[in-house]
Amino acid sequence: MTHPILVEGVSKQFRLQSDRPHSVKEFFTRRDRDRGEDNFWALKDVSIEIPAGSMYALVGHNGSGKSTLLRCIAGIYQPDEGRVSVDGRISTLLELGAGFHPDLSGRENVYLNATILGMSRKEIDKAFDEIVSFAGVEQFIDSPVKVYSSGMYVRLGFSVAVHVRPEILIIDEVIAVGDAEFQRRCFDHLYGLRKAGVTIVVVTHGLETVKTMCDGAAWLDHGVLQCTGTGPEVAAAYMDRVNAAERLERDEIEQAALEAEELEAQSDDEGGGAAVRASKRVEDIRIAKVEFLDAELTPTAFAVHHEPFTIRIHYDAVRPVTSPVFGIALHSTSNVHITGTNTKIDGIDTGTLDGTGYIDFAVGAMPLTASDYELTVAISDQFVQHNFDRREREWRLAVRHGSHLEPEGLMNLRGAWAINSPT
Amino acid sequence: MTAPAKVWNYRTLITNLALRDLRSRYKKSLLGWLWSLINPATTLAIYTVVFGVIMGAVATPMGNGHEGVFALYLFTGLVAWNTFSGGITSAMGSFLAAGGLLTRTYFPPECPVIAGSLTVLTQTAVESVILLAFMAALGNIGWSTLLIVPILLLLSLAAFGIGLVVSLLNVRYRDVAYLTTLILQVLFYATPIVYREDIAAEHPGLNWILKLNPLTHFVGAMRRSIYELRTPTLVNWLVMVLFASFTTAVGWWFFAKKAPRFIEEI
Repeated sequence: MTHPILVEGVSKQFRLQSDRPHSVKEFFTRRDRDRGEDNFWALKDVSIEIPAGSMYALVGHNGSGKSTLLRCIAGIYQPDEGRVSVDGRISTLLELGAGFHPDLSGRENVYLNATILGMSRKEIDKAFDEIVSFAGVEQFIDSPVKVYSSGMYVRLGFSVAVHVRPEILIIDEVIAVGDAEFQRRCFDHLYGLRKAGVTIVVVTHGLETVKTMCDGAAWLDHGVLQCTGTGPEVAAAYMDRVNAAERLERDEIEQAALEAEELEAQSDDEGGGAAVRASKRVEDIRIAKVEFLDAELTPTAFAVHHEPFTIRIHYDAVRPVTSPVFGIALHSTSNVHITGTNTKIDGIDTGTLDGTGYIDFAVGAMPLTASDYELTVAISDQFVQHNFDRREREWRLAVRHGSHLEPEGLMNLRGAWAINSPT
Repeated sequence: MTAPAKVWNYRTLITNLALRDLRSRYKKSLLGWLWSLINPATTLAIYTVVFGVIMGAVATPMGNGHEGVFALYLFTGLVAWNTFSGGITSAMGSFLAAGGLLTRTYFPPECPVIAGSLTVLTQTAVESVILLAFMAALGNIGWSTLLIVPILLLLSLAAFGIGLVVSLLNVRYRDVAYLTTLILQVLFYATPIVYREDIAAEHPGLNWILKLNPLTHFVGAMRRSIYELRTPTLVNWLVMVLFASFTTAVGWWFFAKKAPRFIEEI
């Protein structure tokens, strides 16, 4: 297949179903009012070109029209305006195991599903063993699929879809459902298909996938094309927008929290609150608040890879404390203890602290790669024997993609390469 | 590509859809396939008792001179009727059942409707074999018996054309399913199945209805060729061919035009 997939000025309109007539009577009485306002545009004048043999991603929020565009490319929907030209055998993976009949055996369903995807009986005979072994359901292939675990169901569905030897493969964020090992195998397989010249169009929320695996990408928002470009370009542009939106949201939440605090303070004055507080065991010093700050030292909800980042620990000491030790630790969500340090390890004497204040832990350029981490903060005595306050993995630290290309793995060692060419 | 050509490319899918339907139909039932015999047998028994025994209807003599057997006279008409009404209802059922599939993968939306028609044809084949076995047992068989094939094929083609339209409309207006059941019930009695055409035709009003009802000609043709061992009249053939080709052409045209839009609402 050498022709690209061309999407030219495609618009797609849907009727809002809530208001459509459901009975013949309504059909006659509501007919004239049924036009116009009940429609919305799921896609508006979208034009993209997907080169043959490339892996192409569609990104965007939920409801941005990605899936509608996929269905238009697949021929399931016909666009209201514009046209889509596709040349080649299309295999769609919009919902795994969509054609499975629960009462039929895995074997019968493989044949049924593969014919839906356009395969002939002979071709299926040939690929059958491979399909089953890829899905890892050999033992259960003659049992009805309703007794399958959801994982087996999904694996068999994926396996059929990728083994029908498509020329164009259309995938709607379905791979995210399998376990980690199966996901890896899926991606390996997709990579293999792409090398074999299959055009792959995916909808994904995994920007990592977009950056590392996709040749091209398009970003849709409310049915309108925002930008197209290479995978990393589009991922970066999309991330910038998401970050900005999240910042805005955080500001709003903080504003709301502030107002709530004021309200609480008012009710405390009316009694009750003080008694509750007195019943708690009072330590000499406690962690009042932990803040994340960005390069400009303004509060932020997340860190950005390779950009300055500061953890600010606010303390509240009820009596003077001599040289307390402040410590932090970071865990990955998969439980790996990535790092941990404290003021004693780093040779900092905090001196005598009293009342409220804060201490900063500044990171010149965030070495962690984009993911979620869990932050532990503790204040202990000068010998690190007694914890005044220790909050085990209480804060979620999200690290986001920045403009800097990220290395693989958890962190950037930030080493320097040196090339010594023989003279 | 024209719609029929596209559908031809998907013939494996159609057979698989039909097989799925047949295989899953009697899963988990003890009697299984026997049900496909028990149902028509019961209907036949009821009508024979009610109309043949209680009401005392008398069938015309058979083609080989054997005295009229009302149960077989009735059965001949019922096979035709089941082909028609089964074709329409199963078209609706299989289109609705395949609905979810149609929004997830592309294949011609006619496929499930055709598959539905095919499953009904298998049922028709089973009933026809039993009917012919009885006829053979009474020695009432001749060259005209072979005409059962074109007659039933034309009839299921007519049912397919109507099925295309109602199955599509039923996606948007669920009333269509109820309405269809109702109309089929009326049509059943407006067709000479449980009564004799020649007797009903003596009544001027009824005669008019019978003449306009195309199914009269299908049932009449069945009776003439299977039961009376005569060839159907020219009018029978004309009505059957015209009706079948008209419903199929119009039904398919309507379906091809409207299906893409309707599918979005499944």
